[in-house]
Amino acid sequence: MVREMSAGPSRRRLAGALTALGGVTLLAACAEDAPQDTWQPAGENAQRIQDLQWWVFAIAGAVGLIVFATIAWVSVRYRDRGQPIPRQTHGRPALEIGLTVLPALILVGVAIPTIGTLMDLSRTSDTECVVNVTGQQWWWEVDYPPQEGCGGFSEPIVTSGQMVIPTGTKVLVRGTSRDVIHSWWIPRLNGKRDMVPGRVQTVRLQADRPGIYAGQCTEFCGLSHANMRMEVVALDPADFETWKANQLADYTAPMEGSLAAAGEQVFISQCATCHQVDGLVNADGVPIIAQPQERVFAGAAPNLTNLTTRNTFAGATWDLLTPTCRDDVWNASPEEFGAAYLAGVSADCLNEVDLREWLRNAPAKKPMYADPEQLGPTDGLNRGMPYLALSEAQIDQIIAYLLERQ
Amino acid sequence: MTTTGSKLLIGATVMAVVAAVVYGVIVGGALGTIGLSSAAMGLALLAGVNVYTRDADVSSMDTQAVMAAPAAAAAPGNSMWPIGAAVGGVLLVVGFVTYPVMVVFGVVVLLAATVEWTVQAWSERASGDATFNASLRGRMAHPLEFPVLGAIGLGVVIYSFSRIMLFLSQAGGPAAFATIAALILLVGFVVAFRPTVRSGAVAGVATIALVGLVAGGVAAALEGERELHPHETTGDLGREGQCDTGEETEADENASQTVGAKANLLADIVLHEDGRLEADALGLPGGAGQLVVARNNPTNVRFVNASGEERRLVLDLGTRPAVDENGDVIEDEEVPDQRCTALANEDGNQLLNFTVTEPSASGGPYAFVVPGVDGARVEVVVP
Repeated sequence: MVREMSAGPSRRRLAGALTALGGVTLLAACAEDAPQDTWQPAGENAQRIQDLQWWVFAIAGAVGLIVFATIAWVSVRYRDRGQPIPRQTHGRPALEIGLTVLPALILVGVAIPTIGTLMDLSRTSDTECVVNVTGQQWWWEVDYPPQEGCGGFSEPIVTSGQMVIPTGTKVLVRGTSRDVIHSWWIPRLNGKRDMVPGRVQTVRLQADRPGIYAGQCTEFCGLSHANMRMEVVALDPADFETWKANQLADYTAPMEGSLAAAGEQVFISQCATCHQVDGLVNADGVPIIAQPQERVFAGAAPNLTNLTTRNTFAGATWDLLTPTCRDDVWNASPEEFGAAYLAGVSADCLNEVDLREWLRNAPAKKPMYADPEQLGPTDGLNRGMPYLALSEAQIDQIIAYLLERQ
Repeated sequence: MTTTGSKLLIGATVMAVVAAVVYGVIVGGALGTIGLSSAAMGLALLAGVNVYTRDADVSSMDTQAVMAAPAAAAAPGNSMWPIGAAVGGVLLVVGFVTYPVMVVFGVVVLLAATVEWTVQAWSERASGDATFNASLRGRMAHPLEFPVLGAIGLGVVIYSFSRIMLFLSQAGGPAAFATIAALILLVGFVVAFRPTVRSGAVAGVATIALVGLVAGGVAAALEGERELHPHETTGDLGREGQCDTGEETEADENASQTVGAKANLLADIVLHEDGRLEADALGLPGGAGQLVVARNNPTNVRFVNASGEERRLVLDLGTRPAVDENGDVIEDEEVPDQRCTALANEDGNQLLNFTVTEPSASGGPYAFVVPGVDGARVEVVVP
């Protein structure tokens, strides 16, 4: 009697907890701000995966339900009630063969469309545009080789964090890594692909509508793996041409005597060793070529030529835009998105808080192996951006200079 | 019977008495004399108690008891291990001021001597039966000694073999070891078909062979290794600026004419029969006169030779400062900065792995070229 009285509330508590857990899990699926949702494909390739995974999930779910229901029924129906042990039998060939053949048939049924989908997703013959991505701790470099695709590129463009592509175009991403294995994944556009040093991997991308599609490195790659993000920005072809023209525009030096001009000098002395800004020259008029291999283990640092045409910085970890301006871009209608994105980062929209913190002490903001006393394994080279001991005045000047990199 | 312990106490008593007398006469200190006299009395008391309670409890008429008494046990034999420990200690100390490797040897010898000495001393006092004590020592020490000695012996044999093989010439090595193998076979044949051969004779032959092997190894080690020729690679050709050579080099001998690293390739660089050189990049088929390569990133390309003649692909990276044998830069002297494949046969493939550290805007222009084929050129752009 006592046992029964205590078992009742206990069971009710367990049932309540399970219901709450299931409810929370169910409600989590209703999150509106879920830019990395694999169940919201935004392109042909992701749609192929979606088409496959829906009914594979349905079959797997049905099998799972049948199995669990059978186990539950058997557990209840044949539970120990003090009855004698039933007669033991051995061998039911028809049942055993049936339970072997049925799963095999299900697996074959799943395998055929899966292999077909995999082959479709690895096809490169119908490529209309090629973009290279190179991973390193903890950011992605994006470059566009000269080609006839994507409306034609006469010379290469190098950028980072955000990959800009034209909508409705079959883009082939050729990816690799400079240091450790990373994984490139834009869930709404395609599956993930490991990027391995010394290998060239491919991913097909196609975005149907203009917009920003978020992604995340999905192979643990060191301290700031969780902060290694990326975005694909899809522009309609006309806007894409504008974006290309912006990237290839000549370097504009800051006005003499301005804050930005002072920032240019600080940039040359403090940043240009690693960060390339195309067109930047020294006092003798000689182009300044960054030598990141002298300071950084990966041998590369983001090209900042057109930094404020992008919306993110530091491996797409932080937005260059304030939350309000960011929402204006992210929530823009497909018709208005191109103009919103191409407006770049204005002084009013600049996320100065995060940018200042980053310039003030980058390793404190984003975990990196930047302790000078712990760089033995990399021969003294940094993994990520080191602490530069910039003064507040220098930070003001650099920000003014970078704001003009449009 | 007087045991060793009793002897020690009696001796110590005598020493204390002598010390008390000497101290009292020479130094004259009362306190010291009293102390030493007290020690002598205490030791004498202990010696007396020991003799009475332990040594004297066996009747001299009871021969069996006398034989079984600890005092009747044979005194432990001489031990060589203290000498071993001394050698280890010396190696250790000398090693601290000379070579670190001697310290390691010293520690090993000292440890081995200490363990063996301890086990020996313990086992010899385990009982009055010397045979039992010996077997006890074996049970303790053999599981450690046999594997270690076996490993050392095997190491000596292998090391001797390796020294002899590295000493002999490239042709002499196979000849010598073929002869040795034939001798071993012959001896084995004789032993197998002549069961009457005495085991002593077999052991003698084996010992002579082992001694000969070790002696040969020591002699070869002292004489040094033969001169080993490092094989030339295409990397050497690039470092020496010799990629343009039209002749077959050592790096080209036996070079595989296929490339299996398909998934690693950025592009195929194809030399056509009419002398055109084109880049067939992943995703950008159709052949191009330009290839974009990421900076500071190891890159693989495949050279596909469809020209009908033996050719090699050269990545021309301009020039670089010359360096001397010590790696120091020679002022005002430049050498070609090149990377190249091995010679590719007709319809053969070769792999080229390279990393470019300077963008083409500052270090360029860069290009793939094929020596001996005018106009065969693919521009390499490094952003």
